[in-house]
Amino acid sequence: MSNQSRQNLLYRIRIQKDLEKVVGPALNRLPNLDTVISMIANLNDPQQVFISHWAGLIADSNTELAAHFISFAPKAFETMIDADVQKWIDLFLKNYDNHGLGKAITSLEDISGFAIDQKNKSVRCSLQKTSLFLQHFIRGLGGRELKISGNDETYTNTEGLFLPESISLFPQPKQNFTVYKLTAAHLWAQTWYGTWRIQVLEKLTAEYNNQKSLNIFNRLESIRLNYCIARDFPGLSREFSEFENRDPKVVALWKLWQDRANGLRSPTATAIDTIENIQYFLDIDLPVLQPYQGEIFLDRIRETMLSRIEQEQLAFQRSLDKLRDDNATKDEADDDDFVAKQMLEVSDGDSGDGEPSETNFQLTLDGQPIELSDDLKNLAGSIMQDFGEIPDEYMDPMEQGEYSDALLAQNGESEGDTDPDLNETGTFQYDEWDCTRQRFREDFCTLRELVVPPGDESFISDTLEKYRGALRVIKKCFEAVLGESRPQHRQPDGDDIDLDATVNAHVDMALGKDMSDHLYTKYRNQERNVAVMFMVDMSGSTLGWVNNAERESLVLLCEALQLLGDRYAIYGFSGRTNKRCEVYSIKDFKENYSLEVRQRISGIRPKAYTRMGVAIRHLGQMLQKTHARTKLLITLSDGRPEDYGGYKGQYGIEDTRHALLEMKQSGVHAFCITIDSEAQEYLPHMYGTANYAVIDEVEKLPLKVADIYRRLTT
Amino acid sequence: MSKTTIKNEQNFIKHKPYYEPVGDEVAVFTAAYENQLPILLKGPTGCGKTRFIEYMAWHLKLPMVTVACHDDLTASDLIGRYLIKGGETVWIDGPLTSAVRHGYICYLDEIVEARKDTSVVIHPLCDGRRLLPIEKLGELLEAPSSFCLAISYNPGYQSVLKDLKQSTRQRFVALEFDYPDAATEEAIVIKESGIDEPMAHKLVKLGHMTRNLKGNGLEEGASTRLLVNAGKLIHSNIAPVHAVDTAISQALTDEPDMFQAVHELSRSIF
Repeated sequence: MSNQSRQNLLYRIRIQKDLEKVVGPALNRLPNLDTVISMIANLNDPQQVFISHWAGLIADSNTELAAHFISFAPKAFETMIDADVQKWIDLFLKNYDNHGLGKAITSLEDISGFAIDQKNKSVRCSLQKTSLFLQHFIRGLGGRELKISGNDETYTNTEGLFLPESISLFPQPKQNFTVYKLTAAHLWAQTWYGTWRIQVLEKLTAEYNNQKSLNIFNRLESIRLNYCIARDFPGLSREFSEFENRDPKVVALWKLWQDRANGLRSPTATAIDTIENIQYFLDIDLPVLQPYQGEIFLDRIRETMLSRIEQEQLAFQRSLDKLRDDNATKDEADDDDFVAKQMLEVSDGDSGDGEPSETNFQLTLDGQPIELSDDLKNLAGSIMQDFGEIPDEYMDPMEQGEYSDALLAQNGESEGDTDPDLNETGTFQYDEWDCTRQRFREDFCTLRELVVPPGDESFISDTLEKYRGALRVIKKCFEAVLGESRPQHRQPDGDDIDLDATVNAHVDMALGKDMSDHLYTKYRNQERNVAVMFMVDMSGSTLGWVNNAERESLVLLCEALQLLGDRYAIYGFSGRTNKRCEVYSIKDFKENYSLEVRQRISGIRPKAYTRMGVAIRHLGQMLQKTHARTKLLITLSDGRPEDYGGYKGQYGIEDTRHALLEMKQSGVHAFCITIDSEAQEYLPHMYGTANYAVIDEVEKLPLKVADIYRRLTT
Repeated sequence: MSKTTIKNEQNFIKHKPYYEPVGDEVAVFTAAYENQLPILLKGPTGCGKTRFIEYMAWHLKLPMVTVACHDDLTASDLIGRYLIKGGETVWIDGPLTSAVRHGYICYLDEIVEARKDTSVVIHPLCDGRRLLPIEKLGELLEAPSSFCLAISYNPGYQSVLKDLKQSTRQRFVALEFDYPDAATEEAIVIKESGIDEPMAHKLVKLGHMTRNLKGNGLEEGASTRLLVNAGKLIHSNIAPVHAVDTAISQALTDEPDMFQAVHELSRSIF
């Protein structure tokens, strides 16, 4: 063996030993270990360090995955730039966190797929990024609210626009973004320019319900819509032509179609005219759809429209009945006949330029014009989009007792499935900070918002009785806070002359000194502008005394806060694992300190563990949405963050700390009140040295909490 | 002690302000004025409240004192205060006192912005008494018959803090304003900015589009005032899309998605 090869062998053995140290025996189970090691040996030093560093971190989660990572890392460096290798690791780790080992290994092994994806990403425009813009854009164009969602097929069902998850048709991301906009606008045009009037739908279903005719209809209708758009939105129309297919054959075919269907390019043409044109196009080739054109799914449109029409008719008639009722005098209202006979009439004000408009109609009751609510206007607008007018039978009074439950669901008033114990109000995804990897685990935590079931109200009265004396003291302290509107003396301007300052100034002048111009008194109530969120630990460890003390503290606080008029919300938090994080609404910012709130305070019970980071992120966001000068997040806790499955010790503390830092950056002040006597060890690190208070005796908690709050906010 | 006065001619509206009546608001205002009733103008920002009151001041041939209310406006700011001049104290009438003394129109713009305690000082002026007590002078000022108090407020603010107290609002005759209908708005934009009719038509259409977005990302749609501003820029040869970006989109929102939406809407029209 030559010296050189002996050196190489030693080098490879060293690498293998190093990796064994971090990954353990799993490494030796790799079938192609020797090849892998020699490939790693050929990488440069930083790459080798990178592999060993990440192998160690991944091994903390799973050694099998780490061994897999080692065997694929050389290939990854071969096919991708270093930055993409990092993204590849992030992706399979995310899959490991959220879906387990199998999914992680699949995504780890698919290096070439990932690399192509990464390349496409630079030109791709995703729906996720554009949907907010599209929603605003379409809403601005007008008409019925259309929901934007992702789908493999591009179409509209007249209540939503279904668009591809991503578009990478053109080499520039900006162009792909424009394709999104144009596609959405073109689908919107179908709903706006009467492609889906009920008459059209009926005629199509009856006479042309086959794919060939529908394809022809789609293209012909597109010619008509392009004409309408060119008339009303010249800018959009210019962009349509920019993005049209440039293949000479396609261009020629479209030209042929446009010439043959020239009658559709007129302000008076309707979708019915389009249908009547279908027969003349059965014998010629279909041009390919333009990049911005969607497809047509008659059955989906039919289903959506029919159920909407039924519901809207009921809703409209009910609204009109209410109008009739409101306009009748009391005696008349008792007489159903009279109410029904009041004459409601609708007249559509046509704007005259062929442009549809939903606001141009006037409702009259016995000849008197009526001002419509926004809801009713929208409803009438939607009906006019379906019919082109308000049908006569819609103006008839409803038959007595007619009532549809389906409508309630539409308005979002339905109760849904309710757990008798806890009412769920929504789920949210949050990232979690992983201090070992020094990056976020994306969408790692699933959080549900629940409402605390009401408890026994006698707890409240008992507490008030128990702390009667203390409460008086607390209230006095708080009142003093309010009274602190002392006049500010020696101001450059103000409501009144400050006599002391004036006399002094004259003395100064007499002595030949400079005379101050701060001679006024200002009376200013230092207006309190505070929003505070109380985050109550509802972990299992609070069982017993602590839970009682927490509840008592909240009662006393609420009583005192009523006095101050500060906006405040109270939420509990708990959970078990990252998939079941929970916050419990006790009082939100809008609620008053009502009987229900009191019952909920009394109903606070210990639940499971303490995953604090996600709760801070969720509640902090709510707090950020309030408009207050001072925003305060106060945590009542009994110990360090801890949850099932690794969320403990440094990991939990660092995630919580990171969440608190995020809050701080967005202007929320955090404070922690705890009864954990060991809190000195970790709270200064998490909250900062001055932002926590440790209370030695549980019984003192209720009194201290109010006191601390007063100190914090004055 | 001397009393300073506001010079009459400074507050006279010399030229007829351009105002396009949309209903019977001129008649109602005149009737309220003749009956010595105070007037409350309700409506979204930029829909013509201030222009209307200027028009009425011109119509009634009265000088007008306008106070733009802000959250630090105190009672002294309205009524007046002692100032020190040399070695003496001098009383200076506030705008409200001055208007009452001389029988002008006093217009408190965006009254809800003022501190709650401030809006209470106008109470005795707004009922049958028509008195303004000036505590510091020990004076009780009775308003002459020509005096008229008008206030404006925008009910669109969702904040509970920006609501008018019942005790205040129930002293006023309320006139509701909204953006004018498309044809009137077009006429206003043409007249105010000097652009031609097709361009005004497009601007008004854009205005309606932004109003569709109200409550869904925009607090308010583009007001008539903003449309006029954009029209003026266009009239001075700024490209329409750019004019709309600067005069409307940027004024309406800071949020990038929303800005882009308004920008693309204007691009699709022009």
